[in-house]
Amino acid sequence: MRNLLAFLRRFRVFLLFVFLQVIALYINISYFYYPKSQFLTTSNVMSAKFLEMQNDVNKHFALEDNNIALQRENIQLRMKLKQSKYQETHGKVFINDTAFKQQYTYIPATIINSTVTRRNNYFTLNVGKSQGVYRGLGVFSNNGIVGIVHTASEHYCIVKSVLTKDINIDILIERSGLFGFLKWDGKNPRIGTLTGISNDIKIKKWSTVVTRGGSGIFPKGIPVGKVIKAEPVEGEPLWDVRILFSENYRILQNVYVIKNLHLPELRSLEQHIPEDEEDEDL
Amino acid sequence: MILVAKYFWRFFFLILFQLVIFNHFEPGLGIQIMVYPLCVFLLPFEMPIIPLMLLSFGAGLTIDYFSDSFGLHASSLLLFGYLRPIFLKMYAPRDGYDPLKEPIIRDMGTRWFLLTFGYLMLIHHFWFFFFEIFRLGDFLFVLQKTILSVVLSFISALILQSFVVTRTKAQS
Repeated sequence: MRNLLAFLRRFRVFLLFVFLQVIALYINISYFYYPKSQFLTTSNVMSAKFLEMQNDVNKHFALEDNNIALQRENIQLRMKLKQSKYQETHGKVFINDTAFKQQYTYIPATIINSTVTRRNNYFTLNVGKSQGVYRGLGVFSNNGIVGIVHTASEHYCIVKSVLTKDINIDILIERSGLFGFLKWDGKNPRIGTLTGISNDIKIKKWSTVVTRGGSGIFPKGIPVGKVIKAEPVEGEPLWDVRILFSENYRILQNVYVIKNLHLPELRSLEQHIPEDEEDEDL
Repeated sequence: MILVAKYFWRFFFLILFQLVIFNHFEPGLGIQIMVYPLCVFLLPFEMPIIPLMLLSFGAGLTIDYFSDSFGLHASSLLLFGYLRPIFLKMYAPRDGYDPLKEPIIRDMGTRWFLLTFGYLMLIHHFWFFFFEIFRLGDFLFVLQKTILSVVLSFISALILQSFVVTRTKAQS
């Protein structure tokens, strides 16, 4: 017993160091894979308030780009308005459309904090549980996908962006219909990787890459980017496809959170798939 | 009391600087400027190690709290605090540290500052990026990030250091 006490006294500094180090690394590992609460993240009210104040100043620097982007989107929407269309059915039979019902709803949001050069980049948005946002919803902008909600608090949420290690969103190359998972190697915030495409099929350069909509988070056809390079993976019959993201995450500010109203139904149905399937990562 | 206030003000100011300015500065090539280790480095020479470690752990958690890095800053700043007395001892002047002096360039000289602070920053950055990426396959990328970031962080810390010190001199 005395020896033990002497040992503890002798190495108390080192033991304290190891103890605190284990806490810090435990936080790091557990938060990355299993976010249990919002302690220590920017969705916490205090730090989110601070970031929001900061954003109130910073947002003005990119105002012009954002205005142009919004204007472009406004034009697209305006073209769909009734008043900008020629009414062909005038005096003809009117059909009340019951074939289409709402499946996706959208929540507008603003990014109040973001990074792009870390290995795992998280964006903080100014919407939260009180606006109906919860873990697992998709986030996109008018140019392309942004990420998936990772943690939500009452008024804020954290988005795991496509610029993280294990994002694994299912995407496909338009026209050819080849699909795989989106990944990011941590180097260039404009370039992502598409994995899992067998290299006996040719891939055209500059073909568009969109979401596949398989996991039910995103609808099919939200743009991701364009193919810029396809190289064979060493030792495997697969392509390593490089994608130029259509969204520039450095200047991104206005995004939409997308909610699939059929998602609970889809999930409960997918629970009946036999166990040997690989689990899909959120 | 004035001395405590001075150190506290420095500590707070450097963390704020990191959060407000350097967290949003992303020049690319994997560079991430981290000047906050300076707040632990500028504490008095004779500070005992246990409070020093607790203080650096707390400061690291504060930075984590505002930048979504989940304990990485806390872990690397804790290592910084743990190694600081060892490096201070290694590069101590022959007859020990003068209690009236502070660990800044003006008091201790460029060579001393470059060696102690430079080595500590190198270890801190390497630890941070190693645990951030955590893949042996990307080891060269870790080295690239570490070396480029250390150079920029060191220069920013030099500038900030003179700024913080003159500010406090004028106040007290």
